[in-house]
Amino acid sequence: MDEWKPNPIIKPHKKRSWYLAWKYKLMNQRALRKLCQTGAVLFLLVTVIVNIKLILDTRRAAYEEEEESAQEYDDEMLNVEAPRHPVSNKKVLDVEVYSSRSKVYVAVDGTTVLEDEAREQGRGIHVIVLNQATGHVMAKRVFDTYSPHEDEAMVLFLNMVARGRILIFTIKDEGSFHLKDTAKNVLKSLGSQVAPFLSWRDMWTFVGKKGGEVYGEKHAKSPALSTWGDPVLLKTEVHLTSVEDAECHWPDTELNRRRRRFCSKVEGYGSVCSCKDPTPIEFNPDPLKDNKVFDVPVAVIAGNRPNYLYRMLRSLLSAQGVNPQMITVFIDGYYEEPMDVVELFGLSGIQHTPISIKNARVSQHYKASLTATFNLFPDAKFAVVLEEDLDISVDFFSFLSQSIHLLEEDESLYCISAWNDQGYEHTAEDPSLLYRVETMPGLGWVLRKSLYKDELEPKWPTPEKLWDWDMWMRMPEQRKGRECIIPDISRSYHFGIVGLNMNGYFHEAYFKKHKFNTIPNVQLKNVESLRKDAYETEIHRLLGEAEVLDHSKNPCEDSFVPDTEGRVYVMFIKMEQEADFITWTQLAKCLHIWDLDVRGNHKGLWRLFRKKNHFLVVGVPASPYSSKKPPSVIPVYMEPPAKEEGAVAAVAAAEQT
Amino acid sequence: SAKQHVVRKFLGLLSSHNIPVYLIDPLILGLIDKDIEQIRSSSDGPSPECKYFCAPRDFTTFALLDKAWKHEVELFRNAEKIGFQWLKFLNKDPRLDGMDDLSGTEIPLHYIFKLASHAIHLVVFYERSGNFLWHGPLRLKQHMDRKSVPFRKLDFGRYPGAYEKPELLLVSIDDLKVQIPKNPSSFLEEMSYSRFLECRYREARAFFQLYPDDASIDAVEFRKRAKSLLHLAALTLNNLGVKFWLSSGTCLGWYRQCSVIPYSKDVDLGIFIRDYKADIIPAFQKAGLPLKHKFGKVEDSLELSFQGDDDVKLDIFFFYEEDDHIWNGGTQAKSGKKFKYLFPKFTLCWTEFVELKVRVPCETLQYVEANYGPDWKTPVKTWDWKNSPSNVQYNGVWPVDEWDEVIQIY
Repeated sequence: MDEWKPNPIIKPHKKRSWYLAWKYKLMNQRALRKLCQTGAVLFLLVTVIVNIKLILDTRRAAYEEEEESAQEYDDEMLNVEAPRHPVSNKKVLDVEVYSSRSKVYVAVDGTTVLEDEAREQGRGIHVIVLNQATGHVMAKRVFDTYSPHEDEAMVLFLNMVARGRILIFTIKDEGSFHLKDTAKNVLKSLGSQVAPFLSWRDMWTFVGKKGGEVYGEKHAKSPALSTWGDPVLLKTEVHLTSVEDAECHWPDTELNRRRRRFCSKVEGYGSVCSCKDPTPIEFNPDPLKDNKVFDVPVAVIAGNRPNYLYRMLRSLLSAQGVNPQMITVFIDGYYEEPMDVVELFGLSGIQHTPISIKNARVSQHYKASLTATFNLFPDAKFAVVLEEDLDISVDFFSFLSQSIHLLEEDESLYCISAWNDQGYEHTAEDPSLLYRVETMPGLGWVLRKSLYKDELEPKWPTPEKLWDWDMWMRMPEQRKGRECIIPDISRSYHFGIVGLNMNGYFHEAYFKKHKFNTIPNVQLKNVESLRKDAYETEIHRLLGEAEVLDHSKNPCEDSFVPDTEGRVYVMFIKMEQEADFITWTQLAKCLHIWDLDVRGNHKGLWRLFRKKNHFLVVGVPASPYSSKKPPSVIPVYMEPPAKEEGAVAAVAAAEQT
Repeated sequence: SAKQHVVRKFLGLLSSHNIPVYLIDPLILGLIDKDIEQIRSSSDGPSPECKYFCAPRDFTTFALLDKAWKHEVELFRNAEKIGFQWLKFLNKDPRLDGMDDLSGTEIPLHYIFKLASHAIHLVVFYERSGNFLWHGPLRLKQHMDRKSVPFRKLDFGRYPGAYEKPELLLVSIDDLKVQIPKNPSSFLEEMSYSRFLECRYREARAFFQLYPDDASIDAVEFRKRAKSLLHLAALTLNNLGVKFWLSSGTCLGWYRQCSVIPYSKDVDLGIFIRDYKADIIPAFQKAGLPLKHKFGKVEDSLELSFQGDDDVKLDIFFFYEEDDHIWNGGTQAKSGKKFKYLFPKFTLCWTEFVELKVRVPCETLQYVEANYGPDWKTPVKTWDWKNSPSNVQYNGVWPVDEWDEVIQIY
């Protein structure tokens, strides 16, 4: 695992109030309620009268001024900047930390900064990072160290936190089962005495300064396997340092001002905030010669996974030919931290009030983002659509620059995508090769404005439809027989693990071993032959040259393909009609490529690499290329799996990205 | 002169940051326009006197294309270093206003750079859908200093404005190199009717809350056709130089819901009869829109109807101006009856509609209310053009001997 879980939405600070409790008590008394009501009515009446008078006065004044026509120049919204919160001069923070089976909370100076009592959620170790000078929350994370690998993510995170920050830990439910020694040692090095001995269902709280003093620790042992330790409440004081001491002394440049703003607000981004040797936030990659996509807007679709977004934007801004002014990050929700990341890189970000739920929400967010993109860049004929959990290849823009004219000229094309669904380490080989496929892969793609404006936008699924936008786009009504251009070796890499339709297992199985191009300036070789008719000629040429493999052997075995390099081989599988993918699915499964639904096909033909040889699979008789099959060859038929396995696959397919 | 000095310093500052600006000051452009031939021909003739920039004014106005620069903090630091005070006027981005609940960062609409007693008003122009430039209104916030610049006298900012993308010309005047619109007089002409109205997106959303939008295939298709018909009509009329505006149902759709009313079945445009040209009919025919009917005549109640693709009709109503009102006419083909639709006087504004820069009556509410009555907010699907409009008047009958001319149906 190379990333950690994002922090949950940072809730507005809530006053833990004794006064609310009092209010409720009082309200229960009837007489008092009556009195309050009467009082309220009177108060309202007075307010209304005063207001009406005020309005009338203002109107009169306004009309008088109208003579000079100045009124238009006044801002109706009275958009006065709110005064900043006064900086408290307090030098000591009161910190309360609570750990128990079903609830954790952390309060700083009486303000709740964490409260989690949701059932079946938030298990594990909660970590909060406070700024040592201001006491502001800089990061909130929860690591479910009951489950494997989460402790590694925690160690990674803790290592990223700058020295001097205040760290607060508390366990909810269970946090020790997969807490390995490495993690325990890190906690010990922070000053925890209990961490090395934390065990099953213990409750634990700890407050300390990274690389400094310990402010308090409490622990309650679980008496037996079936029960939890007693809840513990730690109350302690933290001494604040001066702002000077809490900040790095970087030279005063515009970039460093952005960096300072970012680093004083959030934590967990490692070397970008390092005092000594901060990692750059401006990349200035080589420009592309004759860049055809310099003026194409780039929409980055983001949710609340700021660490992902950080990684994504770094790779995007490092790609050759990138034009930062064309990038807009669309954040689904009013999350601060993703916006902080966007501002760190000096990009523009737009927040989107969430509408609808889950898949439909993502889908509505996509629509709003695409519409906004074409509004903001009215001249654009295309938009590049990216997601926050993608790495972008160094030649991403070069790849698009060489191929985008096809999308402009060839009506039978639907998109250009940077992602090859079947491009795994062992099945992709040639960075200069492109394909035409009938399926839309997404994950870094180019959308034609006319397709969006004339076809997709007007009938985009409404929120109540709960559809995945990409599934909807792949439907025949939308695709209308058109195809996408993809590279053999993907120009994006899907690193997201935590997502709506993602989990660790799924990612491991289907995404981790995906091939990702790292070579700069790859010259694409067959661009012109990607046009509709030219591609058919090309395929026929390829099939004409291909050697037919020995169909008596098991196609799943490595020995099915001879130990050669750079040859073209073809095999024929059974495919009764256009939608018969029974054998293909089995073949895909045993080749360990995408098998959850059918991807990467072109008229019943799949193209991939095996052992560095181009490997063609033709579905007979449905594919028009069946005529290339020698009469003696009997197409391979592979049985669908036993029922159980099939059911699992079906469920997984329903959940895929 | 001090003014020339301030302008020189300002232009120097911007060019040192590679920020291209152009002059849009109407007073100076007016002066330039008088000498335009001479200025064009002498690329860098030395002019001894300060003829243009020294006109007695407290400010000089320049334009900046938003996409031509990157918001740089350095610019403002350097401006301060050479003695400028500056003010920035931010507001929300209208290009995101029509979107459900997007909140972008605010965008800069105007800047004031002031040095000594002279101010530079820098207007930021944004590209909008419909291939035009837009500038925002200038609004003072409460805490702002209102005295430093005579805001009321500024030439830009009282209203938002819409402009064509200008062709620029680099000229040398008063010993300064500066970009100006290639044709200053047409820019000034354009400026006089540049006022822009934003669609009422918030009200449109409220309308759709009440009456959910029709997303059926038919509705989607009709909107698509209406949009392309409107684009074609706009292209045709703009080529002829004929001013037109959205009228009747199309105007109501814009005003009420910022979109085409899917059951309206046609596209309605208005043209002042004084702008009528005989070329209109052949131009539409050439554009692939045959004449469907022609009612009335240039002197009275003219109305043209063209047949678009797939059953969408383009209706063009000609408007006649009287002292205290404006009207257009209607004709019932079978009876020769005439009708008159009365409107209060109105002027024309620009707006953005279906990715097009088009005109609408600035006093849209009165216009719509005159046509559709006080209940215009309620959708009505059965509309009778002879009885339903609240501003319809019976206007007699065409003399039978004129029928051949005033009732032409194809």
